[in-house]
Amino acid sequence: MKIGFEIHEQMHTESKLFCECPTNYRDVDPNTNVCPVCTGMPGAKPSPPNKKAIESAIEIALMLDCDIVTQKPIHIQRKHYDYPDLPSGYQRTSLPIAENGELAGVRIREVHIEEDPGKYDPVQGKVDFNRSGIPLVEIITKPDIKSPEEAREFLQSLIRTLEYTNKIRPEPSTLRADTNISLEGGQRVEIKNINSVKGAFKALKYEVMRQKRTEKVERETRSYLESQMITVPMRSKEIADDYRYIPDPNLLPILINQKQVSEIKNNMYEAPHLRKKRIIEEYGIEENVAEVLVSEREFVDLFEEVAKEVDPNFASKWLKNRLRKVLNYLEMPPKQIPFSIEQLTKLLKMIKSEEITPEKGELILREMVKNPDDPEKILEKLGLEEMEKSKLERSVEEVINENEEAVEDFKNGKDEALNYLSGQVMKKTEGKADPREVMKLLKKLLEEQGE
Amino acid sequence: MVGISTLEKLKSIRRGDLTAVDHIEEKIDEIKDRDEGINSFLEINQDSIEKAKEIDRKIEKGDEVGKLAGLGIGIKSNINVKGLKATCASKTLENYTSTYNAVVIERIKQEDGIILGMNNMDEFACGASGETSYFGPTKNPAAAGKIPGGSSSGPAAAVASGLCDLALGSDTGGSIRNPASHCGIVGLKPTYGLVPREGLIDLSMSFDQIGPLSPDVEGAALLTEVIAGKNNTEGIMHDVKSVEYMDKINPDLEEMKIGISPKFRELTDSKIMEVIDDSIDFLEGEGAEIVNVDLPNLEKAMPTYYTILSVEFFSATRKFDGRKYGHKIEDVCGDEVLRRIVRGKHISQKEFKNQYYQRALQVRTLIKKELEKALNETDVLVGPTVPKLPHDIGEDITPSDMYAYDYLTTPANLGGLCGGVVPAGEKNGIPIGLQIQGSTLDEASVLRVMKKMEEKE
Repeated sequence: MKIGFEIHEQMHTESKLFCECPTNYRDVDPNTNVCPVCTGMPGAKPSPPNKKAIESAIEIALMLDCDIVTQKPIHIQRKHYDYPDLPSGYQRTSLPIAENGELAGVRIREVHIEEDPGKYDPVQGKVDFNRSGIPLVEIITKPDIKSPEEAREFLQSLIRTLEYTNKIRPEPSTLRADTNISLEGGQRVEIKNINSVKGAFKALKYEVMRQKRTEKVERETRSYLESQMITVPMRSKEIADDYRYIPDPNLLPILINQKQVSEIKNNMYEAPHLRKKRIIEEYGIEENVAEVLVSEREFVDLFEEVAKEVDPNFASKWLKNRLRKVLNYLEMPPKQIPFSIEQLTKLLKMIKSEEITPEKGELILREMVKNPDDPEKILEKLGLEEMEKSKLERSVEEVINENEEAVEDFKNGKDEALNYLSGQVMKKTEGKADPREVMKLLKKLLEEQGE
Repeated sequence: MVGISTLEKLKSIRRGDLTAVDHIEEKIDEIKDRDEGINSFLEINQDSIEKAKEIDRKIEKGDEVGKLAGLGIGIKSNINVKGLKATCASKTLENYTSTYNAVVIERIKQEDGIILGMNNMDEFACGASGETSYFGPTKNPAAAGKIPGGSSSGPAAAVASGLCDLALGSDTGGSIRNPASHCGIVGLKPTYGLVPREGLIDLSMSFDQIGPLSPDVEGAALLTEVIAGKNNTEGIMHDVKSVEYMDKINPDLEEMKIGISPKFRELTDSKIMEVIDDSIDFLEGEGAEIVNVDLPNLEKAMPTYYTILSVEFFSATRKFDGRKYGHKIEDVCGDEVLRRIVRGKHISQKEFKNQYYQRALQVRTLIKKELEKALNETDVLVGPTVPKLPHDIGEDITPSDMYAYDYLTTPANLGGLCGGVVPAGEKNGIPIGLQIQGSTLDEASVLRVMKKMEEKE
């Protein structure tokens, strides 16, 4: 089985690809972010392509380990086809700006820049051109994927990589994918109109089943129907027989020089898969921990900052376990973390030096997320300083006296009873006690009782 | 017919001898009176008198006024003027009212030029006779019964008949120079990429160029100064902020080297060559050095031009799909427009790509180099504009005879060079224009020779 993809994502720029219109097309009324250029008015001429869009596409291509096409004119082609959302009757699409990449074992054939068409509502027969001219990056893979499951994994990895660059639009579901699939002995079938990772998976699953049951698989283009999770043949009218590509006579070709590429390379973020590899080697941390750390750019940034002053192995696990848990609970993305790196570093040092317990550390962290401050001050504010031993002993004794049944269970060999008793002590001390100390004391006192 | 010069007109408006309002009212009255027989205007700008009043008020107050203050300017119907119809003289766009001004229109308004209205033309600028307009053919005011030439038929006829002071046309393969020659006026196709095309409806994007039609050389120079210069939101333009010609067009031909080619004579009617030879003798007599240049592939320009044009025109007209402007172009256009679309659609097919379009692009480069070489050895190339005398309006001629009118004007478009036309004389009462082609951005040399020609009897 061979599966390949053509993926389109909107790039995040202030203005459109060939005009100055803003790109926040979802936030405004239909047909308000428009001008003669992006509506294809007679006589309108495109501006030279948006530099930011070109740079973003280069950065994305570099993330995908591609070779950038330099010192060679990259023509912007007109791809002609007839559809209501296409104001000029052609879409502008660049020749490859990069080639020969790789991500997650899948070879990337080419990366292009394109303009998005408008949005056509066939029910109402209306077109909204707010989207027309938004820059797209098109990524074409080689057919290296072997199963729908692999395809799903690849797309997830690709999306994570694209999100990592911060160069694609942050709104959900801007992904558009076409996929092609061929089974042993069969012809290649293209599937269009896929809008999500799940959609791609379902479409491929269906297609594998269909092709296995079909005696002779013809070469054809099919459309994915999301509502029914099936693919159907596209009407020949919907497929252009020939796009009649010509270089757009109104635009000079894009020319990328090596210097520009080096500059972008030096200033860009590392791709997640490369970064994972590097931090494992550089900090000697565990792979599964590194995997969680690189899942979001700001999260792993944070790790590398604190690792400058705190034992990386300790810090990585603490971030993965405690910080991740607190953030998940608050549904807070790492980029919104309000406390400073210094505050976090100090907190980690306090825990590492056993100045405070990990549990207290977590309590302080929770407070730090809400009201960022120096962790020592928070410690004081929350009254979490170490309890006097005598006071703790008193609480433990009280719990033992108040829970005869559990004490009895423990003496009869039920170890869980100890956990229960420890929880009661923690409750009594309002979480201020060190659980390890509590356990120790409980065991000691119970053993003394038994004697 | 032409009366006082453009500069004299400007002076008398500026001095207050002639108010802009009186001047514009007179033009509009004349259009109403006389244009029925010429058919050079498709629409009159109802705001023109208001604009004239504004200019008069400025002059009265002693305020500074622009370079074109008070002149009435006709605009070819393929250039967008906000609120007026840019129909391209086609049924396809009969209901299209411009929603924005072309950059050249903004610049004319900035200099206090007054847009008189929209001129007739060959449909979508496809034609060299002025006969393919959906709104009927334009007549030649200078040669009764003859075609005015095209495709800027309306602007040329309007200037030639004095219905407007100046006009804007467009030149893709000779569409300014051809009607200027037939109507006995001055026309200039500026260097490709000197004048912004934003707002000019596409015929063939890599050739199209807006330029002036004028009764005299100074008028053409002045209007070019106003419209030329880089527009930063356009993809393909020369990096020239502005141009100045008025102080450079002193008609002194000493040390000027003028190139002529035997190819011009080979392709041209001998009756026309008599007038052209006479002009060359005149220029030589005025001190220019005449040298022969080699243009071995000149006759390949026309077929090369039509190949590239057809592909670009096919692409440009895809937006007229019937959804936004009411009619699908193929359903309502005339024969010549349809012929070019169908040809373009055919030769842009994947399987023919290397055979026609790519090959044409190669020949284009060849001809461009040839012209550049010839212009390296000389200052300008001088010769005929149209190889044949214009036919009678309505006369049935074949498409290939029509295309043959373009043999001598298409090379400048292939090369992206500048070219001007100035009256050289008459044959059988039909005006004949001399074409002067210059290097990229060397409009000044072209205008100098044109200015000298105005001294010729």
